[in-house]
Amino acid sequence: MSGKGYDLGLIWAFLANKSEEILELTGQHIVVVIISVLIAAVMGVGAGILVWNKPTGRGFVIAVAGVILTIPSMAMLALMIPSLGLGWVPTVVALSLYSLLPIVRNTIVGLREVSPAVLESAAAMGMTPLKVMFAVQIPIAWPVILTGLRVATQLAVGIAAIAAYVAGPGMGTYIFKGLSMLGAKNALNFALTGTICVILIALVLDAFFILITRITTSRGLRD
Amino acid sequence: MTNLAQTQTQLLSVQTAPSQKRFFTAKRFLTPLLIVVALGGLLIFLAARGEPDKIEAFALNWPYMLARVWEHTVLAVSATLLVAIIAIPAGIILSHTHNRWVRGFVLGIANMGQATPAVGVIILFALIFGIGIPTAIAALVIYALLPVLRNTMVGISQIDASVIESARGMGMTTMQILRRVELPLAVPVILAGFRTALVFSVGVATIATFINAGGLGEVIIVGLKLSRPAVLVTGAIVVSCIALLMDWLAGLAEDHLRPKGV
Amino acid sequence: MIKTTSTSGVGITLENVSKSYNSSAPAAVDNFSMNINPGEFIMLVGPSGCGKTTTMKMINRIIEPTSGKIIIDGQDVLSLNPSFLRRNIGYVIQQIGLFPHMTIAENISVVPNLLGWSKDKTADRVEELLALVELDGGSFARRYPKELSGGQQQRVGVARALAADPPVMLMDEPFGATDPITREKLQLEFLRLQESMHKTIVFVTHDFDEALKLGDRIAVLSAGSQIVQFDTPANILSNPANEYVSSFIGQGAALKSLALIDVAQAKLLPASAATSSPHSVATFDNLRTALDRVVLAGGHPVAVLDEAERVVGAIGIEEISDALGADVRNLSPEKAV
Repeated sequence: MSGKGYDLGLIWAFLANKSEEILELTGQHIVVVIISVLIAAVMGVGAGILVWNKPTGRGFVIAVAGVILTIPSMAMLALMIPSLGLGWVPTVVALSLYSLLPIVRNTIVGLREVSPAVLESAAAMGMTPLKVMFAVQIPIAWPVILTGLRVATQLAVGIAAIAAYVAGPGMGTYIFKGLSMLGAKNALNFALTGTICVILIALVLDAFFILITRITTSRGLRD
Repeated sequence: MTNLAQTQTQLLSVQTAPSQKRFFTAKRFLTPLLIVVALGGLLIFLAARGEPDKIEAFALNWPYMLARVWEHTVLAVSATLLVAIIAIPAGIILSHTHNRWVRGFVLGIANMGQATPAVGVIILFALIFGIGIPTAIAALVIYALLPVLRNTMVGISQIDASVIESARGMGMTTMQILRRVELPLAVPVILAGFRTALVFSVGVATIATFINAGGLGEVIIVGLKLSRPAVLVTGAIVVSCIALLMDWLAGLAEDHLRPKGV
Repeated sequence: MIKTTSTSGVGITLENVSKSYNSSAPAAVDNFSMNINPGEFIMLVGPSGCGKTTTMKMINRIIEPTSGKIIIDGQDVLSLNPSFLRRNIGYVIQQIGLFPHMTIAENISVVPNLLGWSKDKTADRVEELLALVELDGGSFARRYPKELSGGQQQRVGVARALAADPPVMLMDEPFGATDPITREKLQLEFLRLQESMHKTIVFVTHDFDEALKLGDRIAVLSAGSQIVQFDTPANILSNPANEYVSSFIGQGAALKSLALIDVAQAKLLPASAATSSPHSVATFDNLRTALDRVVLAGGHPVAVLDEAERVVGAIGIEEISDALGADVRNLSPEKAV
């Protein structure tokens, strides 16, 4: 479409025409991100709880998650294909792996930030170690853990767009459709719609996290 | 890969902070080991499969692979250098701007940028400016700009106000304060942003192959389109190793360039 | 309805208790033995790093002893489940350690909840305790720790430790982080509380004056938690065991002793001996206050008033000095324990 003016009327017609498909892809995009982040949350928060007070374990977990995040997403998705094939499964696995680092790191940071005096008081009052973790330490670390989930979600929304190339679900499908139609009338419409929808999904999920954080954080922990 | 800008900036700056004293930290040692093991494993795997078929032979040969590695590296490194040239001065100027509107505008753009998918930027750029290496570099620069810009601003504005005040009290000019106080103190944070941008460029350069900019993404796509898992896996492992290597080198540079005492 | 029943203290025995963190370094606590009577207020005093806090924290097993025996109310502490043990021992530390995500009421309810108290009983107890530490229940109960001043937070810390009415309290420099005026106020309030509660208290401090003010007996400790002297405040002041203890007492031992003796214990002059100055002193004031008034009155004797503010006599510099001498003579170390 290079060199040509852009007609707003045409994009409205395009959007109206495709509204159902756009909604469906947007829904898929959100669902795949949520599933992946939830899986990563279980693994990441769990790992964080296990290693937060063990320097070696902590270093190892963060190093592994760091290496995963360094791997280019195209490479990660490609590596999944021989064993997991195409579609939802490799997408969810890849997104979960990428989401790990922010979640595990924030869990560790959050748990470590809880003042030793508070932990000592909790133990001295007769709380069992499990009770100290779940009634005191995690609630106090909660805002930091949620921030990890929030960052992970933003990350996953973007990477999910690339996953469309391996037949993953979501709005990335439109972006790649735009590419495959290079030169055709609707190419830019597809790519633009896909990109903007992904941005909107990211912003909406971010707002959702701000809301969740407000609702679930004790008033005593807010600034 | 949306907001690696923010994420990795935080991640990397957190990770690298304490590793100054010991030279042989686990990470310094493990990353090269991991790369050697991955590449060695790949070579053994390919050798064990025996003679590649005709299609595989197209990609699985040294000249072809080395050319892709070279393209990929040039793409990523040149984009990162351009980013450094643009974003560090811009960050310095912005960190000294007291105009709330300018700062708000930049932060707003930065937040939007974080939510923008890399693949969307690259493909939109290609549709608007045409395909090829210049477009890929432009998209990469736009994309990797954020971490460096952000870290430069953060690095300078986080400096304790009393330090600047005492520098001014000693009679330093604004330029002297910048050169002798602010920049040295901001170096670790700026370098962390630079490292993020580099890793990030290697990753996005993989996608650049969609718009005919070459690189190792091409190997992956060839493998994918022609259903040759060996080719696909080779491309993926090699590009991952490049990313790890770049990250490792940048980490070394970071430790080396960090002023003593910071 | 405020009920003021309270469980009074039980005896604690530490037998050859030691703690070492690694075999090459000297032990943090080396063979510590002590007998604490029910309802006694014991102060552990010593320089930082002498092992006093470690000693205290072994009583509720926040720190596990390397060897030795600790017995509370006839029960071997090391044979109990640490969590259950701790629910019956109040614990207050300098950093307070209130839970930031819980309201004041929730903080105080922690141990009652662990013990499975009913909601009503817990709520009543919270109200009672807030009144006890002079934090008006209505407005404070629903606030969060960060909304309170340091002194208020420490009152909550004390209330929380008292929640399940434990017979034993362990306190680690609980008033150390507050400003001098607040500290004095908290000390006096706590002393008043203890008069009615009769808890067995082990209190760690590096402030000798605080130890004098609060303790029934003071253990002066040196490195490795070695007991250099263990005696009443008056005896330590009048008969310091050695140079180390003297250096702890610091300047003005006589003045510090005066603070421990009531005016009532001195031999008074007839009321007519008092000068016409407006200064006077009450029988329940201590001799340090009396000396203060005498100095203000120009060195002349001042009137002594009883609770009903009637003049019962007069006191001057000689009577104060005599009382100090008598006290020192009467409380020789052999008789004290």
